[in-house]
Amino acid sequence: MSQILGFFSAIQGLGATVMMPIIIFIFGLVLGTEKGKALRAGLTVGVGFIGLNLVIGALGTNLGPAVEQMITRFGLSLSVIDVGWPAAAAIAFASTVGMVIIPVCLLVNIVMIITNTTQTVDVDIWDYWHFAFTGALVAIVTGSQTMGLIAAILNMVIIMVIGDYTAPGVEKTLGLPGVSLPHGFTGAYAPIAIVINKIIDMIPGVRKIDINMEKVQQRFGVFGEPIIIGTALGLVIGAVAGYGYGDVLRLGISMGAVLVLIPKMASLLMEGLLPISDAASEFISKKFSNRGKMYIGLDSAVGVGHPLTLSVSLILVPLTVFMAVILPGNKVLPFADLAVIPWMFVLITPVVNGNGFRALVNGIVVLAAGLLISTNLSPLITTAAVNANYTLPSGAAQISSICDGANPLTWAIVRLNDFGWIGMGIVAVIALGLALINRNRILKEARELKQA
Amino acid sequence: MKRILLACGAGVCTSTAARVKVEKILDANGYKGQYKVEQCKIAEVAAKSGSFDFVISTTMKPEGVKCPFINGICFLTGVGVDKTTKEILDLMK
Repeated sequence: MSQILGFFSAIQGLGATVMMPIIIFIFGLVLGTEKGKALRAGLTVGVGFIGLNLVIGALGTNLGPAVEQMITRFGLSLSVIDVGWPAAAAIAFASTVGMVIIPVCLLVNIVMIITNTTQTVDVDIWDYWHFAFTGALVAIVTGSQTMGLIAAILNMVIIMVIGDYTAPGVEKTLGLPGVSLPHGFTGAYAPIAIVINKIIDMIPGVRKIDINMEKVQQRFGVFGEPIIIGTALGLVIGAVAGYGYGDVLRLGISMGAVLVLIPKMASLLMEGLLPISDAASEFISKKFSNRGKMYIGLDSAVGVGHPLTLSVSLILVPLTVFMAVILPGNKVLPFADLAVIPWMFVLITPVVNGNGFRALVNGIVVLAAGLLISTNLSPLITTAAVNANYTLPSGAAQISSICDGANPLTWAIVRLNDFGWIGMGIVAVIALGLALINRNRILKEARELKQA
Repeated sequence: MKRILLACGAGVCTSTAARVKVEKILDANGYKGQYKVEQCKIAEVAAKSGSFDFVISTTMKPEGVKCPFINGICFLTGVGVDKTTKEILDLMK
């Protein structure tokens, strides 16, 4: 194991922009993609990396100094810039754990299906980056890539079980039959929503409250458009930083540009991974689709369109910025990942059964906690970014992301590793325990299916 | 020239996967060069849909879409691609 990881860290020394094309090319050939296609895929990923790097650079050079001035003028402590999930994904894939994450996760999925510990064929290869992200942070905490890889695997096991468990709700509330959402970010919020939902159920009066969110989408719709939200935030930050009107306008346009360009660059990254992801998902679904009731594991993006999910997320965009300013202990300036809030709600929405009030309460709780978590994880994320040869925003001391940087499950796994092997042992016991409970459920369901 | 809007959660991942597959289908049916695809976030669809011929989405239909709407989840699951392909080709005519 350590030799394989050693080989990969040698290639990694060349930097993500060289390494990723090589890795993708090799994976492509191994999975039987034709040479030209594999080469083009690898190079496309390289282009995506360079593009992302440029845009994050632009974000840094423009936003960094403004944030610095804002801090000195008003004593605001928002020194950590939220660079967004596309950058986090790139950092995760460029880490040593990230390089081997695709074959490792495929293997984990296959083992789980064979041992009846999951019903999900996870064809969403792209989102393996969430597990790599946890792994990369754990590797930094423990100084061991092997520990990082183990953490990534355990993270996946937990998420796969959550995916199975929430699949009936996904079918009922989101109208997606036969689909489960084993998504590293979305999945982490399902258990929290279940707990909060139970608590609200116990409070007389409050448990009857529901808010109708129908009109919200029309009124708050602009908060869903990156070009508007980026420009508006840029203008506000420029003004607070005490810039002259010309510079305020320049910052506004630049920030709008950054929010529009980041997804375009990430999309290139995705396009390059596509041949790999297609080949891998074809392989796994061909082999394992005929084993009783199975779910196809997809990106939770397929559930983002639910009206409640979109409405609550839109309200939470301005609310998150407000909370970031007033929340004691928070250092994160929410920016690029304001677009990612809907992903939090994809599984919260089925759990609260479409109740607008409960979704909103959930959102405020997880976002407030999320800001503190991403503040707490920001030194590790910054180190991971440096390891991946990312240019850090000048002026900003640190970077983070509201996506997996604020993920409670990622945080728990990473911070438990502060306690060494004991911490990892606790994570392992929880993951294996969940897998076994899931296995019992699956076998029971299979028996009932046979009897019926 | 048909203008096609391809939407998913962020306009990044699943819409890219669907776009590549849709483009392959359109090219194979002789529409190469006769269409233009743009990706976007689902939250932008209502605002943008007015200037497109139809929208393919890998997530649910939002309110206020001003053009024909096709559910493209099949391009991710691989189930029911034929039916959706027919819908798309009908709209291309």
